[in-house]
Amino acid sequence: MSYEMVCGIETHIELSTATKIFCGCSTAFGGAPNTHCCPICTGQPGALPTLNEKVVEYAITAGLATNCKINAVTHLDRKNYCYPDLPKAYQISQYDKPLCEHGYIALDSGKKIGITRIHIEEDAGKLMHEGGFTFIDYNRGGVPLIEIVSEPDISSPEEAREYAEKLRLIMRAVGVSDCRMQEGSMRCDVNISLKEKGSGAFGTRTEIKNMNSLSHMVKALEYEYSRQEDILKSGGKVEQATLRFDERTGETYVMRTKEDAQDYRYFPEPDLLTVVIPQEKIDSLKAALPELPDARYKRYTRDLGINPHSARLIYAYSNVCAFIDGVIALGGGVKNTVNLTVGTIFSTLPSEGDKEEFAIKVTAGEMAKLVKLLDGGFINVTMAQKTLASMLAEGKAVEAYISQSDTAKVDEGELEKICADALKANPKVKEDFKAGKEKAIFALFGYVKKQTGGRADMRKAEEILRKLLSE
Amino acid sequence: MAISEEEIKWLARLSKLDFEEGELESFTRGLDEIIGFADRINSDVAGDTQSIREVEGECDALSALRPDVVTPSSPNEEITSNAVSERGCFSVRRVVK
Repeated sequence: MSYEMVCGIETHIELSTATKIFCGCSTAFGGAPNTHCCPICTGQPGALPTLNEKVVEYAITAGLATNCKINAVTHLDRKNYCYPDLPKAYQISQYDKPLCEHGYIALDSGKKIGITRIHIEEDAGKLMHEGGFTFIDYNRGGVPLIEIVSEPDISSPEEAREYAEKLRLIMRAVGVSDCRMQEGSMRCDVNISLKEKGSGAFGTRTEIKNMNSLSHMVKALEYEYSRQEDILKSGGKVEQATLRFDERTGETYVMRTKEDAQDYRYFPEPDLLTVVIPQEKIDSLKAALPELPDARYKRYTRDLGINPHSARLIYAYSNVCAFIDGVIALGGGVKNTVNLTVGTIFSTLPSEGDKEEFAIKVTAGEMAKLVKLLDGGFINVTMAQKTLASMLAEGKAVEAYISQSDTAKVDEGELEKICADALKANPKVKEDFKAGKEKAIFALFGYVKKQTGGRADMRKAEEILRKLLSE
Repeated sequence: MAISEEEIKWLARLSKLDFEEGELESFTRGLDEIIGFADRINSDVAGDTQSIREVEGECDALSALRPDVVTPSSPNEEITSNAVSERGCFSVRRVVK
């Protein structure tokens, strides 16, 4: 009997708003414990929530970017559970009427992974367990989240990774979240079951909670697939359970079984009004959507002819792409613009966060001036890289490093004369070259560079020298 | 009875409440009275009022949203003043083993 994987992913993403979902407290990461708190986000009696407009806008934007239908009339619900990370003993979330429904994300293979729903909710506080006590910091409590629930359309760990990666890129591109998994601003819960190949019936599923890295998610799915396969092949039954993944052992372990399943007793949140979103609002958010990563990748590779390897290095970073697009719009050649960005600029931005932020001292205008000098053969690649490195360090204009005399090209007549002199000064080169020693020509390049102070167009010089050598 | 003793036990477990067997009957009776009162309100007003969900779509509630502007938070001492706290954190008995 052979099986196939059935997997769905629930992704929690922290929205990049300035304030919490129901109060004006800051969402800034860090800060001393319980200093970004007020009576509303700590659930004090009598305190009333008010929904943050930006949360609604960001969630709609996330839905539009993932091909969802937007529910123009929606409301929030109470999800009841008693745990110290929730001061009210309930979380305000959405149950029967999420803001967005019925979307999808297309994988590179063309397969569409359905998105069941996207709803808004509040994050919980942070717990720290020490000795016989649990200490609680509610700074994170009330930070806005969207939960994106996929259909069980994912059939392999690789598809799971691609779906989550695409989701992350899209959310970053539309600016609703930084999606930093290591900082917890994107967290995935994965559901997995096995079904007999070709059968329509799903098996019993397990859920692995709180995956905070894509590589852990892949490992956890691989482990859980073989665990369930072993059980089924030996005639056993998979037990419905909530699991955690142990990064050190690479195995999953049981957090709770079906018997401990939660009963959240959802009911409509009476402290908040129904949310009605005018169609004009949805239309304006749709019109404001930026170019999405997949479309950008296609434009770079198909329209601009950027090689796929370089395109993969840049297309995920909106600020980098805006810079490159700016340089090209100002007349910089595509190839030199991309190569200098990926080679020289990226070497000064080691982390992913640095590249995302892309806070560099060189403007697109200055970069375009430099690229045009390189495109025109006025300077060579080494000089362009050296100049760019200085510009990145000091933030000065191109002219501060390259003078007019550096770029004053040697005219063709003068270049022909210098090439002829080079041959006279190195008489043995012609003999060697004719005998098949191609590399002998390098000695002449050195002579020409020296005589012209590096101002010669070396492609032209090579052409002249080859002609003279073959005479 | 609108609610059974079994349901009371289940709710007590979800709410992390612990009570003696002898208290079960009085809790069941008390909650039954509360539900009965809510039912009476429902039956008295049901004929001439709409539920909150029935009026959905009839108002422009976008105006009830709040702009995303930071307002001052409360001082830590004030926020934690009614609870057991240590080093700025609320503290409870350890919740994980």
